[in-house]
Order: sequence, then C-alpha cells, then structure tokens
Amino acid sequence: MVAFRGKYKYEIQNVVASISFGHSINLQQVATAMEDMVEYRPEQFPGLVFRLNKPKTATLIFSSGKMVCTGARSEKEVYKAVETIINKLKARGIHLAPNPRIQIQNIVASAQLNAEVNLEKAAALFENTMYEPEQFPGLIFRLQNPRVVMLIFSSGNMVCTGAKKEEDVKNAVETVYKMLKQQEVLFERA
Amino acid sequence: MSETSAKKDIEIVSAEPEVCPYCGSKRLFFSYDRGEIACVDCGSVVSVNRLDRGPDWRAFTAEEKERRSRTGPPVKPSLVTPSATSATIDWSGKDAFGRKLSTKQRFDMIRLRKWHKVSISSSVERNLVQAVEELDRLASKIGLPQNVRDEAFLIYKTAINKGLVKGRSINSVVAAALYAACRRLKIPITLDEFAKYTEVSDRKDIARCYRFLIKDANIRVDIADPVDFIERLIHMLNIKPTVYPMAKDIIMKAKDRGLTAGKDPAGLAAAAVYIAATLQGEKITQKDVAKAANVTEVTVRNRFKELMSKLNITGLPEE
Repeated sequence: MVAFRGKYKYEIQNVVASISFGHSINLQQVATAMEDMVEYRPEQFPGLVFRLNKPKTATLIFSSGKMVCTGARSEKEVYKAVETIINKLKARGIHLAPNPRIQIQNIVASAQLNAEVNLEKAAALFENTMYEPEQFPGLIFRLQNPRVVMLIFSSGNMVCTGAKKEEDVKNAVETVYKMLKQQEVLFERA
Repeated sequence: MSETSAKKDIEIVSAEPEVCPYCGSKRLFFSYDRGEIACVDCGSVVSVNRLDRGPDWRAFTAEEKERRSRTGPPVKPSLVTPSATSATIDWSGKDAFGRKLSTKQRFDMIRLRKWHKVSISSSVERNLVQAVEELDRLASKIGLPQNVRDEAFLIYKTAINKGLVKGRSINSVVAAALYAACRRLKIPITLDEFAKYTEVSDRKDIARCYRFLIKDANIRVDIADPVDFIERLIHMLNIKPTVYPMAKDIIMKAKDRGLTAGKDPAGLAAAAVYIAATLQGEKITQKDVAKAANVTEVTVRNRFKELMSKLNITGLPEE
C-alpha cells in the first residue's frame, strides 16, 4: 500500500546496543591513557564513559569487556562509534579484540501521523491496548509483529520503542497507521 | 400483560409526583431496578422504595423456572470462599464465658494462634486472608459499598490464581483491585484517593499493579468517563443540582469535538462543573473545584480555557 506513504513520517531518535569483546578491559589503564576523552569515577559508577562527537554517542565501557553504546541515530552509527573507539584506543596503545559482537538492544523512534487520533475509539477497537487518561495521556499499543510498543497521542504524535531493527520501526509505524486509518479513528487536520 | 413491559428498566411516568420539587421539571422517570422515581433533568430522587405494581412473571417450562428464580445460593463471593472468612483465634485473652485466662493458658493460646495461622493450608489461602482484611479496611476507609468489595475480591482472586500477586505487595494489589472494581462499577474515584489511604504503597505502585491487572488478568475496564465525576463534584461542592445537566452537556460537546482525548477525566469534569455553576450564578472558585476533584488548579484553569474557547461559551466574566 504505497498510497499511505508520505502521509506520516518517522525519525529514529536513539539506538542502544550492547557490545561484547570477550576479554576483560583494564579501565584504569584506559582512563589514564585517554584522560582527555573519558569520564571514569569508579566510586560513583563502575563503568567508564566514552563520549564521541562524531557520531554523537555515549558509550559505557565495563571491565568485563562489555560496552553499551547509546545515543546513535541509526544502526550504522553504532558500528561507526564502536570502530572509532577501537581505533582511538589503539592509537594510545590499548588493543581490543578487532571484531566484537554487537547487538542492537533497543531502537526508539518518534513518528507523526499528521492527523488527530480518536484515542477512546481506538482503545475500544484494538486488542493489547491500554488507555488510562487518568494516568497517562497517551494510548499504549503493544504490537505482536513487529514486537514493539507504540505510544499514540491524540495529536497524532507517536513514540515507538522496543524495536530491534530499523525495519521494525518502519513496519510498526506503517501497521499502526493502516490500522488506525482502516478503523476510521484518524482525522485529517483541517 | 406481556413480560416485555415489566422488564423495561426505565419508563417515563407522569402519574403521582408530577413535578420535581427541586427544579420544577416535569420529566420524571421510574427506575424499576431501584424502585425510585427520579428527575431526568437534575437527577434528584423524588421518591424511593416504590413498589412495582405490575404483574409478576410466570414460568411455564423448567428452563424458564430456572432462569426466573429469584432465590438460590449466596452470591457474595467472600462468603463462598471459606478460607477468606475462616475463623481466627482472637486476642482478647478471655474464655467463652468471659473469664480471664490464666497466664499459662494465655501463653498456650498465643502459641495456638500462631499454629492456627500457619496451618491454614496453602500460601494462597493465607494470602487471601490478609488481602481480605486489607480490602475491608481500605474499602471502609473510603466508604465503598459491599458490591464493590465483592467485585474487587473476585478481581484479586483472579490475580492470585494467575500468580500475579507474587513479588508485589498485597496492599498494592488490593488497592489496585479495588480501584479496578470502582472503575468497572463506574464509581468516580481517582487513584490518588487510594494512595492516600494505603499507607505502605504510593500512587505509582498502585498504578503499576493496576496495569498488571488489566494486562495479565484480562480485566476489561472502560475508559473513565468525566460525566461520572460530575455528580460527585456537585455533591461535594454543595451547589445546585441543575448544574448537572449543563455540565454533562458541556462534556458531551467536548467529547464530540475530540477535546477529551488524553485529558484527565477528573480535570475535565471539574472545569465543566466550574463553567456550568458559574453560568448559573453559583459563587465557587476554581480552587474549590480543584480541591474537590483532587486535581491542581492549573489543570482546572487549562481545561477551563480550552473548553471556553473551543466550545465558544460566553457569558462568563473574564479571568
């Protein structure tokens, strides 16, 4: 259904990935070597924080040899960030395993339907939804396939969380858009 | 007479009290369910405990007899569960004749009580005993009727049978079950009120448990309707009952325009009541309404402005 395209848009806001090197890392050594680039306060938090400007990400490095990369805008940026970190450490004489295992854990995206949504009707019509205006103004829609959670607001803004692939986001937004459209709970703005 | 007319639960009557003594409306209705005559416009109950003088229904087949029977086993769920109401040994330290127990006997009784509690067979039953106690305590404090307690008890039992209580505090789940029961029975109460009376858990905790009940125990709950809150607010603020139809009208119009989506029902009701009351000359402040509805003044003010401008309501002095 190509016709629906262009009526809505979405943008990935955050990609979180876990990276595993399979060998332990001496954080103290890293902290001394990279003093100008990292934050390491073991008494406050056991991980070392490595902030990059390009791509703009923050990566937590743990002594167990695992890292968590947050803030990337795409899967590609995650790979790029990991590569940059490995290279920067190498330049200061710290060698890490060259091809770590990278797993995307979560992708968060925002979407805009460009139409108002009748949440009350939507909540009544769809399964796996929760709409409690007393507690939260949005409708929480748990999709089975792809397995993501979509927060839908009456303004037509949506937030998609829990996706593991960039494709999941695309499919989820499209699925939700079609479902809302089909049940006639979308109102185009005048 | 046919059965259908007797079964109708609402019928406009004009006989007997002809006008509502409170607002003068002539539209009164007789609710067969409650045996009351009430005013359609302001909601006041004009006459209670009325008898249904219509013919009783008759049963011609065994099936019909079964269906129309009005007696049977007790329906109160907490009575059906023996464990939940099972006897416990009390703390009074007196025997059946009211005589004080000797010191030795007293210590024996303490031990007996302990063993008695432990021996109530399964953990589920022990949990239920505690839960029913808390449920009754909380319901009494808020002042909820028996039918809500029974509904909450059933919800709690569903939850415990599905293993949802494990890992959560009994108090929070009980509060969540009671809240769910109130919602199902359309009793206008906010979560905050529950949080106020449940000492060990806060609002967020109860809200979390409530979400689990909805999601995992498959309890269907309708969306809280702002209209349900109006009556309560009018009662709490002690203002004219004629405010009710007007406030209801405002909410209905707002619903049609889609202004209610994502908005707290208590806040919406508060703003509608405020507008309607002020239009009818009642002197109330947004602060009063906010307090009665358990929302902040800012909420009332925002909803108020929204409703006023989007519904084109005029005749109110500007803020």
